[in-house]
Amino acid sequence: MVLFYALFEHAAGYALLCVQEIEEIGLLLPQVEASITNFGNFNKIVKLAAFLPFKSAQAALENINAVSEGILHDDLRVFLETHVPQSKKKKKVILGVADSKIGAAILEELGIQCQTTHVVAEVLRGVRLHFHLLIKGLTRQSAGQAQLGLGHSYSRAKVKFNVNRADNMII
Amino acid sequence: MGGGRKVTIEPHRHEGVFIARGKEDALVTKNMVPGEAVYGEKRITVEDADTKIEYRAWNPFRSKLAAAILGGIDNIHMKPGTHVLYLGAASGTTVSHVSDVVGPDGLVYAVEFSHRSGRDLINVAKKRTNIIPIIEDARHPQKYRMLVGMVDVIFADVAQPDQTRIVAINAHHFLRNGGHFVISIKANCIDSTAQPEAVFSQEVKKMQQENMKPQEQLTLEPYERDHAVVVGIYRPPKTKK
Repeated sequence: MVLFYALFEHAAGYALLCVQEIEEIGLLLPQVEASITNFGNFNKIVKLAAFLPFKSAQAALENINAVSEGILHDDLRVFLETHVPQSKKKKKVILGVADSKIGAAILEELGIQCQTTHVVAEVLRGVRLHFHLLIKGLTRQSAGQAQLGLGHSYSRAKVKFNVNRADNMII
Repeated sequence: MGGGRKVTIEPHRHEGVFIARGKEDALVTKNMVPGEAVYGEKRITVEDADTKIEYRAWNPFRSKLAAAILGGIDNIHMKPGTHVLYLGAASGTTVSHVSDVVGPDGLVYAVEFSHRSGRDLINVAKKRTNIIPIIEDARHPQKYRMLVGMVDVIFADVAQPDQTRIVAINAHHFLRNGGHFVISIKANCIDSTAQPEAVFSQEVKKMQQENMKPQEQLTLEPYERDHAVVVGIYRPPKTKK
């Protein structure tokens, strides 16, 4: 048996999802694809295991900078250490992630097997669609608000970071 | 526009878009931030009983989406409440009109790579709370995956040779099943030696391979040369036999 988890990063925080226990992950694909549009069906296959909201806007910014570069941030490390069970001989644990870079970082530092297959992408599509339903106390509006705030701070930092690069034009 | 009283506003066939009928007709959108122009465009105020509503003129020579609407596009798939992923947002001129169209209940995720125009984009987004500015390369959607939710429409005006691929990878991440894409293609940017028609049909073929089903194609004459807008649906729901 394989224990299949998926990691979803959102502007509001990290979410760990537990996907139905299955023999082989490849077998899951048609099921996931069929269930993706309907939350009831989707929730039968994918369940929320844990959610870690970011403490502050500053923490969120640090985390997104790390995530977009494929670096394992301390918050994420602690989150995964506490919530992903250890792999055993009979029960292998596989973590589905969106980006192979962060998968490599997780494998190296925590020794958790990571996957970025088509099934993972489909599961994450479903999570993205139903995220505000999976997390209690989050609405589509407040999820958007979190993205709005983080989008501004992330983009402003990007522009500020290279203040001189784009502006030294010869006129 | 002087003599505001003579101007009347009619809703356009596309919800959220309006036509101002005055001395000359103009395409307009309802200003989310009354009293402010984004890029020096004309503003028209209409008094309706007690309330004043302000509209902003939408220039088809500056915006490909406006050109497509005036060209008679069948459906832009954007209306109040829609969530849009906008690739190639530039300084945010067209984005501001899209933000008007989707209104306070909608969201526009505006992706732009250039820092120079990104700065203007952030300033536009500061005043319009339904625009989420993302200064990042649209080729790497995993970098901004935390910022974007599932969207109903992807609009792309990135003018890159691999534009169709860029839209496809973004669609795989963020476009819901049965969501739509609106892509503006500049033939010169894809292949400057081939005939524009050949370039368009080649791009349409690429879309079909990515589970993107084109539904409509429109050239942007007389506003732009050798441009086409392709509208289609992503992962169309399977028709029951």
